[in-house]
Amino acid sequence: MRRFTLRDSIAATVLAALALAAMPWLMSDFALALTLTCLMYAGLAVSWAMFCGATNYLSLATAAFFGMGAYVTAWGIGTLAYGLGVLLGGLAAAAFAALVGAAVLHLRGAYFAVITFGLGELVRHAITYYEKAYAGTVGRVISEPPETVTIYHVVLLVSALAVVTALVVRASRLGLALRGIGSDEERARTLGVETRRAKILAFSLSAFFPGALGAAMAVRWTYIDPLSVFNPFIGFQTVLIAMVGGAHTILGPIASSVLFSVLTEYLRLQFPYLFLVILGLLLILLVLYLPGGLASLLERWRWGKSRA
Amino acid sequence: MREPLLAAQGVSVRFGGLVAVDAVDLAVHAGELVGVIGPNGAGKTTFFHALSGVLVPTSGCIVIVGDDLTGEGAHAFARHGIARTFQTPRVFKEMPAIDNVRFGLEFAGRTRSHAHDAFDEPGTILEFLGLADVAAVPAGGLTPSKQRLLEIGMALGARPRVLLLDEVAAGLTHAEVELTAQLIRRVRDELGLAVIWIEHAVRVLMDYVERVAVLHQGRKIADGDPRAVAKDAGVIEAYLGEQGEPVTEPGRKAA
Repeated sequence: MRRFTLRDSIAATVLAALALAAMPWLMSDFALALTLTCLMYAGLAVSWAMFCGATNYLSLATAAFFGMGAYVTAWGIGTLAYGLGVLLGGLAAAAFAALVGAAVLHLRGAYFAVITFGLGELVRHAITYYEKAYAGTVGRVISEPPETVTIYHVVLLVSALAVVTALVVRASRLGLALRGIGSDEERARTLGVETRRAKILAFSLSAFFPGALGAAMAVRWTYIDPLSVFNPFIGFQTVLIAMVGGAHTILGPIASSVLFSVLTEYLRLQFPYLFLVILGLLLILLVLYLPGGLASLLERWRWGKSRA
Repeated sequence: MREPLLAAQGVSVRFGGLVAVDAVDLAVHAGELVGVIGPNGAGKTTFFHALSGVLVPTSGCIVIVGDDLTGEGAHAFARHGIARTFQTPRVFKEMPAIDNVRFGLEFAGRTRSHAHDAFDEPGTILEFLGLADVAAVPAGGLTPSKQRLLEIGMALGARPRVLLLDEVAAGLTHAEVELTAQLIRRVRDELGLAVIWIEHAVRVLMDYVERVAVLHQGRKIADGDPRAVAKDAGVIEAYLGEQGEPVTEPGRKAA
């Protein structure tokens, strides 16, 4: 079997995105909303894995980036075009990540996880304070949101862009440097990688997408306040999806975001009171019996075939 | 006289009250193969950490081809042509062997070319080391002795001017040590590198290097022709002080 080249993978992504772009005219509203959730989580999980999967960092900052993006939209709506808000939301998150990354990326493991989690709380409280003290409000009403079809297409575009970026990064020198950092950072440095710069660059790049997705999704809620958009659940969910899928791959997180979104929706409808319990149990089983994620199933299957 | 490729001037490393390396001077030129020996805890590896930028010396400076790099990060040393191996092999375990070698070519050695373009290809480097058949195997799956060879390959990938080898012969059989030593001489000859080679098992080293420096309690107590150094009273005492590990200890340490 011929190996997939970067061009093949990008072409496949573009084709899939084009096919998905037609969905608003083919699907029911319910199915479309579900697809939108899938796309959002795919974008979040793929961009999380772009940095964290390669470097073995555990970042819980997704909620912070997402919330920042959402607030760019909340503040800009009415004066800022929707697409421009999405771009600005992404850029704001990327800039923030670069700044914070420069300060905390020397930490590893649990320290980094705790710091990035605290970051979300910090931004949330800062915005709450600002809104109360200067804007005299707790939350904001999103008036005149764009059409669902527009939102869907923008989210699709951002998520497809996240996948293409992840593919390009993986094939690039930056990707090689990140894998070296994940394996043995000091060794990578003795082979000429300026690890600090590589990490800040990649962390900032990977933050653009949750920022943009936050800005894009904010208009789905009619009323947003810091508690709802800086929801730590979004951060945890992203990490779980990426890990269950296989954080060192790109296809794994995509597959697992579909699985998660559909499963969550199904369980919520079938077992409204038990669904979180069931979801939790499934997760535990997956982590216990498939520590390499869904992607490792595929790898095992390929391995089996190549040996036969 | 030619400018040395690497010059350590009065390098000291202190950890709190402990002086691990004490005002050591060492200059190496292109084409030189220099051994560094010393009893356990003499400060050999700490000295290497300072030479490769992994550790910033407390005082003294390190000059590489005329540039003072003291205080710079390890990546700057690597880009200036200092490549090293580690005592316990530190290969990128998840990556295929060939990507381990490619790594240095993509980063440290990107702006230089080798004296021999054959060494600009990761495949040729693996072949040279006799690792061509495991190119696609994740490095973590190789035997320890192959990981040691791969470490040399990673360093060669960085297109070095100075190669620092930290106990590459440890844990190898006598035949493997012999082979490794010949390999090191060949890269030195073919690529015109300066090689500094630390070894605890002194005998092997003495047979292969033209110059040897002895560290004892962080200080350099001898530096010169191996035969002369072996007879040096201070050196003999340093080794005998460490419960009978004489300079003439046979090279075969472990199988």
